[in-house]
Amino acid sequence: MSKIIALAKKELHGYFSTPIAYLMLIAMLSLFNIFFYMIISQNKEVSLRDIFQIMEFMFIFLVPLLTMKLFAEEKSTGTMEFLLTAPLTPSMLVLGKYLGMMTFFSLLIGMTVIYYVIVAYFGSPDLVSILSGYVGIWLEGAFFIAIGLLTSSWTSNQIIAAMMSYFILFLLYFTSNFTQYFTGTVKAFLIQLSTRTHLENFATGIITPSDIIYYLSGILLCLVLTRLSIDNRLWQ
Amino acid sequence: MIIVDNVIKNFGLFQALDNVSFEINKGDIVGFLGKNGAGKTTLMRILTSFMAPSSGKVIIDGDNIAKNALTIRQKIGYLPETPPLYNSMTVKSYLKFAAQIKGVPANKQRIQLTKVIEECHLEQVKNKTIATLSKGYKQRVGIAQAIIHEPKLLILDEPTSGLDPIQVQQVLALIKNQREQRTVILSTHNLTEIEQIAHRVLIIKSGKIVIDQPLSILLNENNDTHSPTQVQSQSTTLEQIFINLHHLDSTPIKSNLIQSNLIQSNQETTQCNTTGDK
Repeated sequence: MSKIIALAKKELHGYFSTPIAYLMLIAMLSLFNIFFYMIISQNKEVSLRDIFQIMEFMFIFLVPLLTMKLFAEEKSTGTMEFLLTAPLTPSMLVLGKYLGMMTFFSLLIGMTVIYYVIVAYFGSPDLVSILSGYVGIWLEGAFFIAIGLLTSSWTSNQIIAAMMSYFILFLLYFTSNFTQYFTGTVKAFLIQLSTRTHLENFATGIITPSDIIYYLSGILLCLVLTRLSIDNRLWQ
Repeated sequence: MIIVDNVIKNFGLFQALDNVSFEINKGDIVGFLGKNGAGKTTLMRILTSFMAPSSGKVIIDGDNIAKNALTIRQKIGYLPETPPLYNSMTVKSYLKFAAQIKGVPANKQRIQLTKVIEECHLEQVKNKTIATLSKGYKQRVGIAQAIIHEPKLLILDEPTSGLDPIQVQQVLALIKNQREQRTVILSTHNLTEIEQIAHRVLIIKSGKIVIDQPLSILLNENNDTHSPTQVQSQSTTLEQIFINLHHLDSTPIKSNLIQSNLIQSNQETTQCNTTGDK
């Protein structure tokens, strides 16, 4: 476990030692703030439901920018050889990087808790639906990060890694838009495949086992595939 | 310490290593020599368990690399051709990270950190960001990370590549200091460096080991072949052996064949000189 934590700390150090992390945080929070103001002033509701959906859409653009370097940079700079000849298992490597990225993401999510404080000041928001919304957006981010981690393990080029992430994330997000062209099982499958379907439930305060399983199985699948990718040295 | 038995490594249709076998004893300093693309780095990467051989067996300190890769990695310190450094980290934080992932117990990390910083003469730069260091210092940081967990085997891939003569001497001195504590394998293109520090030489050509001899024997054997009338230099250097070797065809060659080739070339030189005199 100490090796996983060391790897996670190294990842965080990598983000915060350059202006990238700060710029990302400032840019994302500024955008969230603008949308938060617009939604609240327009809807006049003490709810964060719409802001969660805006966050989801923004994370499609943000997460690949954060995750593209995770393995791709290690490969391009030669430090992958250092990590893979150290007494670390591929699982430790994957979990360490994932933990580091999740800590950064959790920090970003944590900074939006101020929105709850603001809506609570002006009214009586439904705490349960806000909490479930946060759980949903956190799980969704965790899923996106796992996808980014996987694509970063496929290449030594950060731009290619980001492009592959965008492709997968857009596919998952917009799948539900194509349901009008299908019927029956295919339609139901596309609805269930879309991330929007699952976050919508969380954002309205409904936590169902199928939504949790969707995110957890997606995360697990991506982490296992990343481990296999590292283990098989597919990048060589 | 190390047993390499009939190791073959293929990359698609290209055979990088062809039936490589050798043994290295504890405490030896062994130099891997060969042209670019000869297979030195591939062999080192197999020894560090970074890549698996296509076939063959590698045993390091009693552990089979195919079965106990993690145990073996704990016993190995490795400096790849390009020092694996994180430019945004300071020397100290990087070495601390290296100690953590290499399993140095938490209560010994500080001691080990101080020890390698002192051993590699990094005191002046320990709080500097790696990106700001000279190439020589970066190489020393690379060596420091390789020895921070006190490995039994140290593998260095071209540790002096791209350094100026003073930096080369500093790095060589650092490697020399290691030989009392651990087995060292290093590869280099600079043959005089091997002559300075190695006990034994393995010359690799097209993925095959063509010479595997203690350095002293190799140089003495070839010196013995010199005729008294030879006008060339008085003693054969590793560089001459290496150049002669790479003028031969690609079949595996034992040292006696090199020797006979040197005799032949020496005789030709003598004849030419004699004819010239007439």
